[in-house]
Amino acid sequence: MPSSGLRNSLRTRRWFSSLPPIEWLSLRIQEALIGALRQGPIPQHVAFVMDGNRRFARQSHIETTEGHNLGFEALAKILEICYKAGVKVVTVYAFSIENFKRSKYEVDALMDIAKIKLSQLSQHGDLLDRYGAKIRILGHRSLVNQEVLEAIDRAMELTKHNNKAILNVCFPYTSRDEITSAIQSIVALAIPTKMKGRQLETLTEEAAEAIDCAHEGFPQSRSESPSSNTTMASTIVSGSPAALALLPREHVDFTGVRHKEIVDLESISEQTVTDHLFTADNPPLDLLIRTSGVERLSDFMLWQVHQDTDVEFIDCMWPEFDVWHFLPILLGWGLKRKRFLREMKLDDEQKHNRGSTWAKELGFGEVNGSQNKKTV
Amino acid sequence: MSTRRQVPPAIATTRKQEFEDPKARAAYVKKFLPKQEQETDTDEPSTRSRSRPIRTFIRIAFYKFLLWILFSITSLYLRIRYVKNFILNRWFSILYYHHKTPELIQKDVKQLDRLPQHLSIILEFEKEGGVETLIDHVAEISCWCASAGIPTLSVYEQTGALKKYISTSHRITSQRLHSYFGKNRPTLRVLAPHLPSYANGDTEGLPDGESPDLEVIFISEEDGRESIVDLTKTLCEMASRGKMTKEDVTMELVDAELESLTIPEPDLLILFSPSVKLLGYPPWQIRLTEIFHLPDNDAVGYQVFLRALYNYAKCEMRFGR
Repeated sequence: MPSSGLRNSLRTRRWFSSLPPIEWLSLRIQEALIGALRQGPIPQHVAFVMDGNRRFARQSHIETTEGHNLGFEALAKILEICYKAGVKVVTVYAFSIENFKRSKYEVDALMDIAKIKLSQLSQHGDLLDRYGAKIRILGHRSLVNQEVLEAIDRAMELTKHNNKAILNVCFPYTSRDEITSAIQSIVALAIPTKMKGRQLETLTEEAAEAIDCAHEGFPQSRSESPSSNTTMASTIVSGSPAALALLPREHVDFTGVRHKEIVDLESISEQTVTDHLFTADNPPLDLLIRTSGVERLSDFMLWQVHQDTDVEFIDCMWPEFDVWHFLPILLGWGLKRKRFLREMKLDDEQKHNRGSTWAKELGFGEVNGSQNKKTV
Repeated sequence: MSTRRQVPPAIATTRKQEFEDPKARAAYVKKFLPKQEQETDTDEPSTRSRSRPIRTFIRIAFYKFLLWILFSITSLYLRIRYVKNFILNRWFSILYYHHKTPELIQKDVKQLDRLPQHLSIILEFEKEGGVETLIDHVAEISCWCASAGIPTLSVYEQTGALKKYISTSHRITSQRLHSYFGKNRPTLRVLAPHLPSYANGDTEGLPDGESPDLEVIFISEEDGRESIVDLTKTLCEMASRGKMTKEDVTMELVDAELESLTIPEPDLLILFSPSVKLLGYPPWQIRLTEIFHLPDNDAVGYQVFLRALYNYAKCEMRFGR
């Protein structure tokens, strides 16, 4: 009985929200909200674990495949909000390598959905095109069958020219696999080549210097300008194309970033590993959202969830996840970020030994300040 | 007559041209379209730029105002939630208190059908304000673990301050265990990766190879990403000497190496912070770890520990005993 009630309420809600005036109004409200959000701090890189499609299907007594379809619809809506609000990179966990352990029927259905939705998403004039987003598939390609691979390549090819935003679809992906393959490619670069001309060596050094300089320039403080990562990466490539073209051993990853041979082992750093991950040229992860109330990372973005990423676990199934769930998270994040920026500014001020008596700004960013006071 | 005859073919040819050649067709159609189109094309930019500043200014002002309202609502909501959670947490901490008796803790966890074998916690140096408090927390939580029957506790502290006080921590924790259990307290070993472990006679009575009742591991930021980087360096060195190829690097190898270098995968991670921030926690090991935190909680308390265990066992918590 409760399940049919849920189904009915879902249906009435849908019917209600599809009424023209209601639809128009909600669209207007959404637009205003997004316009407002754009005025404040916005995460540059958001990741979603789209968990709960199956449980949602079971709860509302619909086919599992239908649950996944609804999940995709929810994703499309969220993507639209993200891109409108100014998020640069959205990463979604679509399919884990572990998911191959599920029933063949479901895996096949998921593959089919992926195939259809990928071509739908990347169609000319559809969502991704509208917001100038390019699609990237992160993961272990060899595990996918030929048909799906073709669909992936077509989607990537179609949206290649878009450069305002990125949609990362993790499809067969696990983070451990990602880290392992990063280590693998670094190791591959460290294997010495026997045939190395004198001239080439000097050229490599020059190129290495260029790259090292660029690396040093990478913003360590995340607040600065995360988008400069990408420009840095592109300058690495375009900086000295002649020298780089002659490199004896190099590795060009799918984002187009070239990696040079590693001569000095001590030069390997966290940044080196970061640069070999699938998300190499993306800004640092600001926000990770997992639905369905499961409080685990489940092998997703392990390396990327490092220092300052806010991890949010929400107790709702992914198909139910909408603006009204997402908005409070974004606002909460914005508040935290504002406070953080203000503290940074305060620190700077104190460093310069200027006015230490800073009248604390009154207003809306004070929640956590008052919290601290209370706990003390 | 003759003129009349001459006209039709001329029209026919122009028509034909007009319909075949797209440019000519466009030119032909243009004659019939309203002229304004062109004018608006040229005029629009200037009128737009004239009317835009005010309009955009108003729009931005409106959006900023709306954002301010939204932030105010959020902050109000967060405050209310904070008060609610604060009262709830206090209530829980009054209801559930260990009274330094292992039996009470055992009674609390008796009904749980599964317990983490490896518990991990994150403590913050700055927030706790000094090593003394940190060690005190470690000692206290160690006692709870020993009472509940959790054999491994790893303590993550970003700066690595705890690692310098392994013997002190061991002494204080043993004293605390003594005050909980009395004379036959559980055996304890405190260790940190790459540092000699400290058992201080605790494992003397134990046969060789048997582990003590409780193992406390101190980890810090250098056991996180840095350990992976170090492993990469080692592997690269081997590769440069030709002892290793790309294909030899497998997930199993990395996993085994990292486990021996730092800590095994924890089952449960408890954060004593109001939101989930991992602060550089070892990334490889946290794969399937259940992460627990209480929203708006800022204190290290027994109720957090207990609620984490209940949550881990998927067990509803009864109010009261």
